[in-house]
Amino acid sequence: MDCYTANWNPLGDSAFYRKYELYSMDWDLKEELRDCLVAAAPYGGPIALLRNPWRKEKAASVRPVLDIYSASGVPLASLLWKSGPVVSLGWSAEEELLCVQEDGAVLVYGLHGDFRRHFSMGNEVLQNRVLDARIFHTEFGSGVAILTGAHRFTLSANVGDLKLRRMPEVPGLQSAPSCWTTLCQDRVAHILLAVGPDLYLLDHAACSAVIPPGLAPGVSSFLQMAVSFTYRHLALFTDTGYIWMGTASLKEKLCEFNCNIRAPPKQMVWCSRPRSKERAVVVAWERRLMVVGDAPESIQFVLDEDSYLVPELDGVRIFSRSTHEFLHEVPAASEEIFKIASMAPGALLLEAQKEYEKESQKADEYLREIQELGQLTQAVQQCIEAAGHEHQPEMQKSLLRAASFGKCFLDRFPPDSFVRMCQDLRVLNAVRDYHIGIPLTYSQYKQLTIQVLLDRLVLRRLYPLAIQICEYLRLPEVQGVSRILAHWACYKVQQKDVSDEDVARAINQKLGDTPGVSYSDIAARAYGCGRTELAIKLLEYEPRSGEQVPLLLKMKRSKLALSKAIESGDTDLVFTVLLHLKNELNRGDFFMTLRNQPMALSLYRQFCKHQELETLKDLYNQDDNHQELGSFHIRASYAAEERIEGRVAALQTAADAFYKAKNEFAAKATEDQMRLLRLQRRLEDELGGQFLDLSLHDTVTTLILGGHNKRAEQLARDFRIPDKRLWWLKLTALADLEDWEELEKFSKSKKSPIGYLPFVEICMKQHNKYEAKKYASRVGPEQKVKALLLVGDVAQAADVAIEHRNEAELSLVLSHCTGATDGATADKIQRARAQAQKK
Amino acid sequence: MAFPHRPDAPELPDFSMLKRLARDQLIYLLEQLPGKKDLFIEADLMSPLDRIANVSILKQHEVDKLYKVENKPALSSSEQLCFLVRPRIKNMRYIANLVNADKLAGRTRKYKVIFSPQKFYACEMVLEEEGIYGDVSCDEWAFSLLPLDVDLLSMELPEFFRDYFLEGDQRWINTVAQALHLLSTLYGSFPNCYGIGRCAKMSYELWRKLEEEEDGETKGRRPEIGHIFLLDRDMDFVTALCSQVVYEGLVDDTFRIKCGSVDFGPEVTSSDKSLKVLLNAEDKVFNEIRNEHFSNVFGFLSQKARNLQAQYDRRRGMDIKQMKNFVSQELKGLKQEHRLLSLHIGACESIMKKKTKQDFQELIKTEHALLEGFSIRESTSYIEEHIDRQVSPIESLRLMCLLSITENGEPKRPKTDKAAGKITDAFSSLAKRSNFRAISKKLNLIPRVDGEYDLKVPRDMAYVFSGAYVPLSCRIIEQVLERRSWQGLDEVVRLLNCSEFAFTDMIKDDKASSESLRLILVVFLGGCTFSEISALRFLGREKGYRFIFLTTAVTNSARLMEAMSEVKA
Repeated sequence: MDCYTANWNPLGDSAFYRKYELYSMDWDLKEELRDCLVAAAPYGGPIALLRNPWRKEKAASVRPVLDIYSASGVPLASLLWKSGPVVSLGWSAEEELLCVQEDGAVLVYGLHGDFRRHFSMGNEVLQNRVLDARIFHTEFGSGVAILTGAHRFTLSANVGDLKLRRMPEVPGLQSAPSCWTTLCQDRVAHILLAVGPDLYLLDHAACSAVIPPGLAPGVSSFLQMAVSFTYRHLALFTDTGYIWMGTASLKEKLCEFNCNIRAPPKQMVWCSRPRSKERAVVVAWERRLMVVGDAPESIQFVLDEDSYLVPELDGVRIFSRSTHEFLHEVPAASEEIFKIASMAPGALLLEAQKEYEKESQKADEYLREIQELGQLTQAVQQCIEAAGHEHQPEMQKSLLRAASFGKCFLDRFPPDSFVRMCQDLRVLNAVRDYHIGIPLTYSQYKQLTIQVLLDRLVLRRLYPLAIQICEYLRLPEVQGVSRILAHWACYKVQQKDVSDEDVARAINQKLGDTPGVSYSDIAARAYGCGRTELAIKLLEYEPRSGEQVPLLLKMKRSKLALSKAIESGDTDLVFTVLLHLKNELNRGDFFMTLRNQPMALSLYRQFCKHQELETLKDLYNQDDNHQELGSFHIRASYAAEERIEGRVAALQTAADAFYKAKNEFAAKATEDQMRLLRLQRRLEDELGGQFLDLSLHDTVTTLILGGHNKRAEQLARDFRIPDKRLWWLKLTALADLEDWEELEKFSKSKKSPIGYLPFVEICMKQHNKYEAKKYASRVGPEQKVKALLLVGDVAQAADVAIEHRNEAELSLVLSHCTGATDGATADKIQRARAQAQKK
Repeated sequence: MAFPHRPDAPELPDFSMLKRLARDQLIYLLEQLPGKKDLFIEADLMSPLDRIANVSILKQHEVDKLYKVENKPALSSSEQLCFLVRPRIKNMRYIANLVNADKLAGRTRKYKVIFSPQKFYACEMVLEEEGIYGDVSCDEWAFSLLPLDVDLLSMELPEFFRDYFLEGDQRWINTVAQALHLLSTLYGSFPNCYGIGRCAKMSYELWRKLEEEEDGETKGRRPEIGHIFLLDRDMDFVTALCSQVVYEGLVDDTFRIKCGSVDFGPEVTSSDKSLKVLLNAEDKVFNEIRNEHFSNVFGFLSQKARNLQAQYDRRRGMDIKQMKNFVSQELKGLKQEHRLLSLHIGACESIMKKKTKQDFQELIKTEHALLEGFSIRESTSYIEEHIDRQVSPIESLRLMCLLSITENGEPKRPKTDKAAGKITDAFSSLAKRSNFRAISKKLNLIPRVDGEYDLKVPRDMAYVFSGAYVPLSCRIIEQVLERRSWQGLDEVVRLLNCSEFAFTDMIKDDKASSESLRLILVVFLGGCTFSEISALRFLGREKGYRFIFLTTAVTNSARLMEAMSEVKA
């Protein structure tokens, strides 16, 4: 215990840095690291090495080898590099290996060396070649930045959604910048580059020169720059051996340091932990490692071997041929507990527990001391937190034991933080295992989340471990076990040496009806490997028919897809299939398929109505659906045709169709309309004015209003307008004209088929009481009362009503009796009523 | 007068959550396009949108100017355009024209199309055909349930009726299923489900499938609503075709209630401006008369006016302190009530004027005769005269449809007129065989009345049609709820031609409280009328239930007929 802090190195007054071994590597490297292109993924990710790169100008006959190892040096893949010269390697956030070639092509490989896809960084890059490239990570994903031979930058902020951006030119740039890096501010990626003593910031609009505040004088060039993991801080290394550290916005200086080494460092990375005030940069030369921060002295380490630095969220990983180490700032909780002669509550609690185990009464003393200060809760929390930051399980255990011991003396200490830490540490220890090789720290794990960690395990095909973790943490099946099983199944279908039946059965056996498993995803994967039959077999297990359809379409099983789509009841899906079918089949076959599927047919018809009228016609033709054909032509005559001849012709076609459909009524009506159209045309020619598209009724009305009574009569006869209708029509038209004379003549032409009440009504509507009265007298007995009331002759109405002895009429008149004038009438009615009741 | 709810009536669930959900989702979508943008809104979506997020909320999320989607070139100068539309092909064309015009002019902007309530493949295909699929980004705003009132949810999809019942297009069924799914995740699953009609059955099955796919999370929620009843509009066209005489229905027929609010013109407001008024339970005056037969409304309003006057008058005898109290506490409420009262009185007068002009009594008399199935000859000649007088083609057609259905779809066709010929499509689809007479008899839809039907104290749901007819749809619901199944209604179901499509589903659930079992969600697929709502509210009061209504849209006879006539492209 005494030497526990032996590997702690103070930097300044307030911070300690420690370096400890994660793994001893036995990856049997044949070559030196310095001869390889190296890429290591953050969050304890894999390491890729491309040996024998082209810059060495070795014999071209030897193909280089691309090796991928886990962080513990376990080989994951090895493949011969057959493509062009590679400039840079890097890992994406999804742990895909991006290999940037000299010609600007980026090849993407999986963790197991499986080729995924490739994309190009554009023509400009292709022409000028790639000088240098960086892969960087932002909150949106992983980006690629490229420096071309023409000293221009091109970048894409997210390789998942490739959008190339060519950055503006740096004025007067003749040679490659001495160093550069990508920054990410306000959701936008920038490039910072150094040319001689000048710094330039490129955003997508402009290039601006920037000057770091408080930079020591005498700088003639910048040799190295480093941006922190979170893009918040920036460090610059100058040719004077001076290091400037500040914010990435270049607005503020944090500190500076002069190391007096003028040789350019091999690597420089930030080493800081989230929420810590300490800032430090790790600088590596060939044989020297230096940690500098806001302190006059630096920490120095000697490097025995060629090493490579991997910046992490809360520290730096350093690996070489033989070891893999982690360098970080000692977290506050650990510092409090383990600092020499610490009297922090956590330290005392740890001591107390140890004494307790030794059965010494000192345990009680320590405990009392903490309790007197009222800091037991804090002590327990400190121990739990410190346990999280320890790498050695032994130390974790002793801290947790101390916490558990302390907990016994607390009344209401919520147990979840302790339980959760135990769980987290079990998971972490499991994945840190040499065979798994993911050396995550507690902070990284929390940042990464369990879901992503599970994804990464799945990516490494560590299905059993992933499932064990899910079960251990009791994750909901949909997020946990079944998701992993689905991934397993996707992997399983790629095993080409197993027969379709066996694979399908094996998958179904293991997955069964586990909720959240999508058989269609697995089938898609099977199809992706060229196993169509297997895919169809797997689709059978898919309970949601909606999910089966897109894949069936892809596999060109469109008819099966159609019936599945209809089964699903989702019209949109049916539609998708329909349009596929339409392009795939010839017209006849397509129509035949539709015929057997009425729902699909009606859908397609509706689509045609809006989109392809001609197809609609063909559809009806094929089905001999004359009724619909008729309607179709009617519509066409109104919508599509402009000229009267065209319209009439379309109507004629419609009429023929209606005859074929044995719809006499529709056919006749259509023919009438044709006649009317022709006639209206003639009327327009002869009389002027607007007649086209008026209804028959309105045509006649217009004629009367225009004084063409003869023609009106003729039209009415031709089209056999019923008498009643004609009378209404004429009556309304003449009243509108206020041609009272003509109206009277008309009323006397013969006995009105609609009676004379309408005459009274219409005159009153035109406020002509005088005319109205003329007709009121002619109204038949049944409606007489109404008519008299209309013209306002209440007294006479009352007389008639009394005469009729009609109760309803009497009340009607009574309701019209208003004011004093009708008082007498009202009395009269009341009397008549009383009399009637007597009888 | 207005009947209060029974003291034991169950509480309604809080549906304002639906609004909040929709608003949050919309804001999220708008934020997906950071920076200033112009928003193009389809006319049909404007009123619903207004109920969800007003202009100031939109402005907060950097919406600069608002435009209506119409066939006019857009004058927007913004660099980012966002379209909020229904998934219709004509909208796609509009967007395509706009984008292609920009392309011709060498202009690049960002375009985003938000489909509500969902996007359809056909739309994406049109965008693809027009060559702009890559230029626009598409999103869905799954806003399918708008709470118009405390007990009324509307999907605001009037086209559902035409699409499904006339064109046989089933795509909205998925939307319905999604909406039901949303309700059951928010308010617990429904222990008892009933339904009738092909569409009801399909929606139900699709919904069940959705639930199965996602179970686990909804399970264990205490159901808040005990029953759900799905009903296709084509089970009962008759009710929807009748003229409405309940106040709310009459207002809808006369002024057209749109998205829960109505525009009262100058003739109602007795000023020179028209006024947009929100009609819901918050309007205290309206809430008391909405379900009343129109003949009672005037009396009620004048009583109310007198009361109000009395309350105003109280201040005469007041001392300073009381007066202060009165002004600070009561006056505002009184003024508000006064304003509402004068509005509704204005509306009543306006309705009276319009109705008496066209001899409303005659019309109602004819409709009742048709419903009861006597004096067909007089009714027919009334309709003929209606045509002869050229009152209104839609009205004439409505009466003919009513005649056709009530006469079992085999009427001696009146000498059909060109007006009808134009819309033969609609006519023939409506004039299919029905068994209205037999159903009417079986279900006792025409109440036997001895003497006057007292509309002030209604006895049954028939009051919504002046005591002449119990709405068929509501009667079916009543009967099924009484039996808790379709048992004993086989004959009715057969007569409705729906033997395959009537279903009951009980899900054993002991957790359902007795309170929730008296809450019933009625889903009208194809729209429902205010008369039906009033009738069921009445039934609820009688039996101690409370009904919640979910409809694809609120409809009435005119909308129904218009939906079926050919729309000018």
